[in-house]
Amino acid sequence: MQLTKEEKQELTNSFLDMGEKLLESGAEISRVEDTISRMAAAYGVIHTDVFAITSIISLSLEFPDEEMVTETRRVYESNSRDFYRLEKLNALSRECCRAPLPVSELREKIRTISESETSLALQFLACILGAGGFAVFFGGSLWDALAAAGFGMGICLMQYFFGKTKISPAGMNLIISFIAGLGVGILCAFVPALHMDKVMIGDIMLLIPGMAMTNSVQNILGGNTISGLVRLTESLIWAAALAGGFMTAIAIVDRLI
Amino acid sequence: MKDIIIQLAAAFAGALGFSLLYHLRFRHVLFASFAGMLTWGVYLAVHSLTDGSFIPCLAGALFAVILSEILAHLRKCPATLFLLPAIIPLVPGGSLYYTMSSAVRGDFATAASFGRETVICAFAIAAGISFATVLRELHTPKKVS
Repeated sequence: MQLTKEEKQELTNSFLDMGEKLLESGAEISRVEDTISRMAAAYGVIHTDVFAITSIISLSLEFPDEEMVTETRRVYESNSRDFYRLEKLNALSRECCRAPLPVSELREKIRTISESETSLALQFLACILGAGGFAVFFGGSLWDALAAAGFGMGICLMQYFFGKTKISPAGMNLIISFIAGLGVGILCAFVPALHMDKVMIGDIMLLIPGMAMTNSVQNILGGNTISGLVRLTESLIWAAALAGGFMTAIAIVDRLI
Repeated sequence: MKDIIIQLAAAFAGALGFSLLYHLRFRHVLFASFAGMLTWGVYLAVHSLTDGSFIPCLAGALFAVILSEILAHLRKCPATLFLLPAIIPLVPGGSLYYTMSSAVRGDFATAASFGRETVICAFAIAAGISFATVLRELHTPKKVS
């Protein structure tokens, strides 16, 4: 395939878009690097050097006419999850490997996929089911589930609004756990039928960085030790922030009531 | 028996919640939720045979990885989509809470025992994922680039 200079540049940018969006959707590092290499090969690139960690992707492409293009992309939101985008991007890359799309069309498709948003109502439902389900799972009653679901919705709202500010993930976990812990503690003090431990556990499950930890193990096994360790450190810090928030809240509730 | 059914149903609801939270497409959601429920089933089954929670967690995680690989193959999408909701019921949220609450109340003996439980569970999940991934990789030829 003969590409003009502009097309080569645009192709490189499209690959970086692809990698960035994959990282932001919760893909493993090896998937990001693999996808970019395979797509580059499909577009006739003769040599690809791609290196990704959780916060940056560096990409060098050597085209058949010996022209090189090198770009890097800083990735800021690599701790979010969106399996809809992940699946769509994965399908798009497979489609491209079979029959490469025109460069502008590829870029357009990546943009369309990355603009898909999940609705707030669905997130509410998810938090209700997640928090309520796990309150019962760990031995709570139906009332505990209802209380956990209510606070789960609160957590969902807080994540939505704090997500619009400059707050870091660890800071977000700290403040949300503190507010949620305080709320649950106060409610349970006034409604003796509720079990404070079960309600709190339901809400902890929403905030616990189990996914980041799983991702970290996947990265280390995929041979990407640096990213794996970065993820592991991050998830331990988030777990510590969560513990800090809930422990402070429990301590305050214990002293007050 | 009643407890087991309630736990399995709750694991299903929890995994369903997390599938939606991660914006999994509706056509996969039920599969992922069942995967979460079955993973907990495996945990409970192994737990009734052995002491401690390391082996049951390990077995659950192994099962979750294998099941999500199979589902991914059948439904033609990345295995991660099923793995994360399936693993969720194994995440030691309960023991993490009791570690924190005992530590705040100054009962460090209880906190240490629950803390150990939390760490053991986390390690077992990691080990389970590792073993299953290694098994899969043994079947995959090295790619030539």
